Amino acid sequence: MAGRTAAALALSAVAVTATALSVSAQSLARLTVQSFVLSTDNPRPRLDVPFHLIVTLHVRERVTQIANLELPMLADLELLGDERETVSGTNGTQYRETITVVAHRAGPIAIAPATLQAIDARDGKPKQWYTNGLTLSLTGVSAPVLRHEAGEILGVLWRALRVLLWVLGIACLVAIVALLMRRRARRPGPPAPPMPESAPAPLQRSPREQVADALTVLRAERTRGAAIAVRGAVWRMLGASDGETLGDVLKRRQAFDPMLRDLLISLERSAFTYDDDLRGAIDDACSALQRYAESLP
Amino acid sequence: MIAARRPADLQVALAHTIVGQHGVIEALLLALLSNGHVLLEGPPGLAKTLACRSLAAALEGEFKRIQFTPDLLPSDIVGTRIFDQRESAFATVLGPIFANVVLADEINRAPAKVQSALLEAMQERQVTIGPQSYALPDPFVVMATMNPLDSEGTYALPIAQMDRFLMKINVGYPSREEELQILDRFAVADTQPVRAVATLDDIRGWREQAHSVHIDDKLKRYIVDLVTITRHADDVSVRSQSGAALRAAELIDYGASPRATLALAFLARGRAMLDGRDFALPDDVRAVAGHALRHRIGFNYRLATDGVSADGVIDAMIATIPAP
Repeated sequence: MAGRTAAALALSAVAVTATALSVSAQSLARLTVQSFVLSTDNPRPRLDVPFHLIVTLHVRERVTQIANLELPMLADLELLGDERETVSGTNGTQYRETITVVAHRAGPIAIAPATLQAIDARDGKPKQWYTNGLTLSLTGVSAPVLRHEAGEILGVLWRALRVLLWVLGIACLVAIVALLMRRRARRPGPPAPPMPESAPAPLQRSPREQVADALTVLRAERTRGAAIAVRGAVWRMLGASDGETLGDVLKRRQAFDPMLRDLLISLERSAFTYDDDLRGAIDDACSALQRYAESLP
Repeated sequence: MIAARRPADLQVALAHTIVGQHGVIEALLLALLSNGHVLLEGPPGLAKTLACRSLAAALEGEFKRIQFTPDLLPSDIVGTRIFDQRESAFATVLGPIFANVVLADEINRAPAKVQSALLEAMQERQVTIGPQSYALPDPFVVMATMNPLDSEGTYALPIAQMDRFLMKINVGYPSREEELQILDRFAVADTQPVRAVATLDDIRGWREQAHSVHIDDKLKRYIVDLVTITRHADDVSVRSQSGAALRAAELIDYGASPRATLALAFLARGRAMLDGRDFALPDDVRAVAGHALRHRIGFNYRLATDGVSADGVIDAMIATIPAP
């Protein structure tokens, strides 16, 4: 089960859930989703200091706008702004939505995934895609609290100074200063901010683990769809994009490894061969995946 | 089911005789496997005749060469009826088009009616002489050449005529290494004869196998997308000679016909078979896309005035469509 979970993480592009969609399928755009990610420019934001949540979507098609993209509920955050940018190019369309928010409450905040509903251009079915979620740790205290506490401390100091001046006189100025210093040293400081909880460390998977995950996925689901997803994941490991051809990928320096070449060719066969040959093609792809995983350090 | 003799054997046999020109050899084999014809554009002396003659020899077929000239008549190609005085009857003399491999040299030097006679025969695969129709041999592949350097006294082929060629290949000069090989191979002896490595029956069998090569639905959509972009190339950008960005749509009067879609599928199947596969890949489609589209797109005068190459525009369009 843990392996399946890890596999799902390694193959984030596969995280497509065919659910009953709230939007009628006829109104959905036909898209080939290549990546869909929620990120932040500050994983440990401070209270009352604005920061950004960024939704990035890359689709293969050239489109001018992205519809049916739902942002997560931001109940614990105040929304300050929302900026959208759509850039179309030869590699498809890059959509980026930057949401400016601010938090007024300390502690961890969980942000749910953003969702996208569209027709999957790969198989023509309506689907819902999810980004990853985010857990943020809000640190520090808010600015009004800081200002209020600082004012109180200054008042105490001023009163103490006046008493000392009356009692000891100007001649005891040095002693008063020393006394003030001692008092300051003894005085309890402002309440310590809550200890920031460490942000969850990103899941770092070694290439061997990623290939093993892919093998787990393909063995569990011996379908053309799974083979295509594994093919995409292996290509991304090599820095290739989905829009390239096998010939392009084989020209990459990393693909000079004969075992990797075998793997790439067997995955290509699984993706494009006829139905009667699919089982054999996936068997070969699994064997190639296993050999390649074993060859990795 | 792969026959004992493979199309790749033919490729190897031809490569033993012809130095370089892998594109021409592959095009000839693809034309054979796809039952189509090839238009070659390139300067003279690049082994086009040798390639055709060698191909015919390699499959024990008949080779004919027709030199197109301005005074050529349709009957010089398809044949004619002559009156036999001894028999007191008309006898039919079949023209040089009745061969398995026909080289139509400098096709654009003959007037339109002669070109039409050839292209109709290519399309119908039969010739009507007088009251009787004669089927052309099977396999029947025409390799027509055009010289791009000397356009004086030529009759340009209309796009509708060119559309009947399965593919168009631009033949280039050999590399320095290949030219050295040519010197070594042909300076002391004449052309090495090609031994027969396949029969005409083999070709017919391979053709049936090529027809059954699987093309996945994703690949079919990719093929259609590649042809469609030639008709709606507004988003495709190319650079002019001066470095200015141009929309490809500004350079194109009309895009490729549905015949290009079929040609792409035929050629991708043939290429997969040459590679020993019974399923086609995106690489097969991309490799043959230029050959199938080059002569089917109507470029306007701006292509020349802006100094853009037709292949550059086609490459830009192909690059716009992500492979599945």
